[in-house]
Amino acid sequence: MQLQIDHASLQLGNKLFGPFNFSIKAGERIAILGKSGAGKSTIVRLIAREHQLKSGSILINGTSMNQYSSAQLSRIRGVLPQNTQIAFGLMTDLVIELGRVTAPNKVNQETIVMQAAQMACAEHLLGRTFNTLSGGEQARVHLARVFAQLWDANDGLILVDEPVAALDPGLQYQLLSTIDRFAKERNHAVLAVLHDINHALDFERLLLVEQGRIIQDCPADHGALVDLERLYGIQLEHLRDSQGRSVLIQVHPSGIYP
Amino acid sequence: MRQTASHFDYSTWITRLGIFFIGLFVFLIAVNFGAVDIQSADWLHLFSQQNGYEGASYVLWTIRIPRVLLAITVGAALGIAGALAQSLFRNPLADPGLLGVSAGASCSVAIGIVMLDGFRFIPTEELRVWAIPFFAFLGAIAVCFCLDYVARVVSPGSIAGLLLTGIALNAFAGAVIGLCTYLANDEQLRSFTFWTLGSLASARWLMVGVLIGALVIGWAWIRTLLQDLNALTLGENIANHLGVDVLRLRTKVIVLVATLSGLAVAWCGMIGFIGLMAPNLVRICLGSDQKRVIPYSAGVGAILLVIADTIARTIAIPAELPVSIFTALLGGPLFLILLRQYRSRLN
Repeated sequence: MQLQIDHASLQLGNKLFGPFNFSIKAGERIAILGKSGAGKSTIVRLIAREHQLKSGSILINGTSMNQYSSAQLSRIRGVLPQNTQIAFGLMTDLVIELGRVTAPNKVNQETIVMQAAQMACAEHLLGRTFNTLSGGEQARVHLARVFAQLWDANDGLILVDEPVAALDPGLQYQLLSTIDRFAKERNHAVLAVLHDINHALDFERLLLVEQGRIIQDCPADHGALVDLERLYGIQLEHLRDSQGRSVLIQVHPSGIYP
Repeated sequence: MRQTASHFDYSTWITRLGIFFIGLFVFLIAVNFGAVDIQSADWLHLFSQQNGYEGASYVLWTIRIPRVLLAITVGAALGIAGALAQSLFRNPLADPGLLGVSAGASCSVAIGIVMLDGFRFIPTEELRVWAIPFFAFLGAIAVCFCLDYVARVVSPGSIAGLLLTGIALNAFAGAVIGLCTYLANDEQLRSFTFWTLGSLASARWLMVGVLIGALVIGWAWIRTLLQDLNALTLGENIANHLGVDVLRLRTKVIVLVATLSGLAVAWCGMIGFIGLMAPNLVRICLGSDQKRVIPYSAGVGAILLVIADTIARTIAIPAELPVSIFTALLGGPLFLILLRQYRSRLN
């Protein structure tokens, strides 16, 4: 899908966010970086229609997002939230199946649930109660739910809101690369709020957010080094790992690597 | 996956049949117990007698059976209302009684009886029968919208905020009822007090018919909402992401809760604890899938209320004790035992 954000702004309390101006092309993968409280999640929530716009517009394929019903949106847009609380002890199977709640076609439901769970590395969690799982396991079940939702869709959009903040380093890569694979197979665009600069370098584009505004929209490569240094107020150094990929590491303030 | 699915159906049927037979058993026991002895011959009379019943079969047909059926339908209505309220507020402690919905209904009826002079402006006796349910519904729905507003806007997601609002609404309704009692004349006072003591003693076939109708229509509607309610369990935002129109869903559920608990309060006064207990018992034993919680809450609520009512009217024959005493006496300990046994499954 083609997402166009024009002068979108919103007010939360007495804090003003925006105006935001950017667009997402079909299949594009974009990472949002910024200090905490800068408004990264706000951008995602705006596109997930959790907040009302104060001014401006968000267009999906040329039509205003507000013209879409929740059900229509749910068939092209999935949201992987920050860790959440579930009110009652639901089974993981049911949580994943709920991804299909508005699916017009209910055949193969079980197979889709199973395959989505497999893809999200959550199949061993089936048959358990969601609330008894650890944070990382819950994130995988939610991911499987998003996969089930967008399983038979193409050219959709996946919004990701720091799902990997509290996970082990190995699991973070695993989760992000699964999302990547899933999205590429179906040409879904991905917009992800991230904490880790090097995870963000695996994306195509970076949006750098500061004090409720996008201060930089640039390709996700080591060329963003200076902007990232300014954004976080740190010093970075560009290295290459054994496979030749760019890695940015922080230079310790005293000049010695930590 | 396939294998577990067939096994699953099997156990579902056992649970359904189990609840049905427990219900039938309780029904037969309840009908046979009471101030007047019922013999098996009296049952046969029901089917053979052509022109009117007499003696024990008269009691059976005009008093006993409607009363037990009313207990079943009111119990089912309270069970469903409780389950719906709990899923609406995403909180296992939500209950129409605790949240002030029943008190709101009661308060509205008090205002109707006292301020509108016993509904005397309604011309005919037949129409007047509907005045109390109507006013109960108005009170219940007003409280529901008030609670919904608090749950969404004033203190979103806060269990404490919701329960405190319930306490405040209960107190406010209590105060208005007190004020009405003070302003009432003798006749109004009698009719209001008679109504609040309510109990199931005034059971009539008409009430049973209306409640069965409400339950059938209500269930046909609720069936289509079950999976959306499951999605709501994940949180309001996630439900929205999944394509559920949460605002509309909430309004529908509020109308259902208000209708069911309003009807129950209208004809039977305030019966506490069933709406809290039945869904939690089901959840502890069968898990939290709303597709099961809501229908089974109806069955469990019905059984609990029939047992409580039977005890209430037989323990001190010919006197009759308020049924609420026994719903709490019966439910409290049972609830605590199950809570202790299955505490891990609750969250």
